[in-house]
Amino acid sequence: MNTAAPALEISGLTKSFGTTRALEEVDLVVESGTVHCVLGENGAGKSTLCHVVGGSVAPDAGGLRLYGSPYAPRRPADALAAGIAMVHQHFSLVPTLTVGENMRLLRLRDLPRRVARVREEYGLELDLDARVSELPVGVRQRTEIVKALLREPRLLVLDEPTGVLGPAGTDALLATCRRIAESGHAVVLVTHKLGEVARAGDAATVLRGGRVSGGGPLAELPPERLVPLMIGRPAGSLDAGLAGTIGLAADGDSPEAGASGSGKTRAGGPEPAGRALAVGTAEPGGRAEPGGKAAARVTQALRLRDVSVRRADGTSALDEVSLDVGYGEIVGIAGVEGNGQSELMALLGGSLAPVAGRVELDGRDLTRAAPRERSRAGLGVVPEDRLHEGCVPQLRVADNLFLGRLDRFRRHGVLLDRRAMDRAADSVLTGHGIRADGPGALMSSLSGGNQQKVVLARELALDPLICLAAAQPTRGLDIGAVGAVHSRIRDAAAAGTGVLVVSSELSELLVLCDRITVAYRGKLLGPVDPAEPDARERIGALMLGARASRPGPENTGHTPEALR
Amino acid sequence: MSAVVEELVSGGVRLAVPLLLASSGELLSERAGVLNLSVEGMMLTGAFAGATGALASGNAGVGVLAALAAGLLFAALQALLSVVLRADQIVTGITANVLALGATTYGSRVFFGDGAADSVPGFDPIPVPGLHSVPVLGPALFEQTALGYAAFAVAAVLALGFSRRTSWGLAVDAIGEDATTADRCGLPVRAVRFAAVLLTGAVSGLAGAQLALSEVHAFSDNITGGIGYLAVVAVIAGRWRAWPTLVACLFFGVAQSLQFAAPALGLHLSAPLLTTLPYVIALLAVSGLVGRSRAPSGLTVPFLRGA
Repeated sequence: MNTAAPALEISGLTKSFGTTRALEEVDLVVESGTVHCVLGENGAGKSTLCHVVGGSVAPDAGGLRLYGSPYAPRRPADALAAGIAMVHQHFSLVPTLTVGENMRLLRLRDLPRRVARVREEYGLELDLDARVSELPVGVRQRTEIVKALLREPRLLVLDEPTGVLGPAGTDALLATCRRIAESGHAVVLVTHKLGEVARAGDAATVLRGGRVSGGGPLAELPPERLVPLMIGRPAGSLDAGLAGTIGLAADGDSPEAGASGSGKTRAGGPEPAGRALAVGTAEPGGRAEPGGKAAARVTQALRLRDVSVRRADGTSALDEVSLDVGYGEIVGIAGVEGNGQSELMALLGGSLAPVAGRVELDGRDLTRAAPRERSRAGLGVVPEDRLHEGCVPQLRVADNLFLGRLDRFRRHGVLLDRRAMDRAADSVLTGHGIRADGPGALMSSLSGGNQQKVVLARELALDPLICLAAAQPTRGLDIGAVGAVHSRIRDAAAAGTGVLVVSSELSELLVLCDRITVAYRGKLLGPVDPAEPDARERIGALMLGARASRPGPENTGHTPEALR
Repeated sequence: MSAVVEELVSGGVRLAVPLLLASSGELLSERAGVLNLSVEGMMLTGAFAGATGALASGNAGVGVLAALAAGLLFAALQALLSVVLRADQIVTGITANVLALGATTYGSRVFFGDGAADSVPGFDPIPVPGLHSVPVLGPALFEQTALGYAAFAVAAVLALGFSRRTSWGLAVDAIGEDATTADRCGLPVRAVRFAAVLLTGAVSGLAGAQLALSEVHAFSDNITGGIGYLAVVAVIAGRWRAWPTLVACLFFGVAQSLQFAAPALGLHLSAPLLTTLPYVIALLAVSGLVGRSRAPSGLTVPFLRGA
């Protein structure tokens, strides 16, 4: 092995799918001992690039060199044999097996030693006896990364690894990346979050529309220069929410740099007070007091009282949780995944019944209502797993939009008036800026962002819409889609709908919400007013169950500060 | 030679009728996410009940009603197990078939003594004036029994009434593809699945009656002999779509009639070997289609809210 040669050298890589050019003349050099970030919006070609490196997609033209020697994988096994480990966005874990059993599937020699080594070297702890299907998404991701590290790869490729992680998980992952790089290997980190790039990367290559739009050592590429490369317009044109989700304001290092001059106002609605927004730009005078005004009304849009939920294995997922969402209020739930957020969403969606407590919508008891009663009563739910719970990928977009309201389109008894349906769908597509090949396109042919917009559009179309609960509404979406989703959520709140947003993206919550509570071990802690100057630090501390002002592992022992 | 072709086609269509009936139900049931392997048992029960009813009352119509009722009852058991109790659909299906074979064989000993019922009152072909004399197609399509014509009508109504262009058909597809989403959208997942299985039972019962009352006017042990499985295969070969399933049924019908036409074609094989012919052809047809078809995502996955 020639150590002077770069870990990975890609030159002139071109790949088309049908008429779409996914990659065009892409050049990329990853030096060994570095973390190289590949940046770009959805559809920029990042995933295709990963697939080519991983051997699952053959390029049309161009070549790869790995540590100086020619590398032309024809199947994923070739990549593994060459010492490349991939972690894809979609997990490759068998859900019915335990973590340990999944690792044994790799058929590696001295597995216990390797596991111990990964634990020691990278501080990645795992419960080997836990069943994968029962693990929260964040832990599955960690398992996936440990699996990749067990092979002791020379090059680790991570495709959007932090999308499912909370801030602490992201920190740990980025630290892991650094450690791998420092041990002399190379890491390719594919992401669209600039905050991560700034913190963990040594160099970056930016893709836009399948071409390299720029790149170089990060010392010469501050976020302000990366943003225009990614999206083709200057950073100043971004709204605070957008800036937040791509990580400009995300990571606390330089909060004021990101949310420059951004503010948002709401048009009308029961609570028209403008809020002071984004990190570090709080003005005490402009702060709203959502609790006060909402409490003056007799009922809340959504009210949870002492709700307890158990998981299938009998452990407590939600422990006497109470929560109010006022009309027109946006309440955020932050927290590391696996602290009861998924169960909270399942509870609201009606797929999980509480063992105790009460759920009220607009003063009406919905504790044990079936999903369809909930949507009729005006509770819209955008589930976290939109592909498996939110839509039917094999049906058309129009079918998905109106699945719950097919009666509206009956003609001659049972026949569907598909033309009317398509017309109605078309106006939804236009109104929500959903990019699809018409209302007749299969849902599965849409990008993740557009699928999300369809699910959101369907739930927003509920009449009446008293409360909207959305989990990870912008996970995996590109910047344009994030902006659209955020403005839809704000519009709904402006029209008087109570909104509950569960997100692992703290920056998103900070710019979107009137009030943020933190899920921690089945309790909701807080609330924190996002306009407070130290909101980020306080939330970070609450995520670790502490009341301390600064986050850190040393605080985990402190007494949780329970909400109500 | 043309006589052989005519015999092959008209025999094929005649044999395809029970297949078509059962497949049209099975198609619906599978699109809703329930794999009814028990179609075979439903048909066999229907054939037995049809023969018994017709023989006891002396009226073939009563036999048809008995077959319908038996098919429904059998389906209710299957639906209870696979939809309500969420038992494994493959296991319950196969078990139900074995149960049906045992029960009808025992029943025919009790009712018909030596295990076969001859000269059961049945239906005779009613040629449609004019049309039946059209070469090849005439005898194939227009010399059916009343039950045969009814079968065409039922299959057509099911295919059109539950096409994806109807609200029912779309709901069925949504439930079979993704029951959780369908439930969230307010579609009655379990009710639709239960109803789809019942419907399969009813049409399979009719298919059984067709075998016992239209074809041979008799009941013998295991009279279906695997036709119910062929109906399931036809749905797979038809890639869960109505028209291709119809084509598959006709194809399997012709494959079955091949065993009768074999001597005329100069194929001198032993009879037991000939009866395996349609199944060999079905296997080849399905293996040729492997990879090109995609089952409904929720097929055989029981629905439980929150699971």
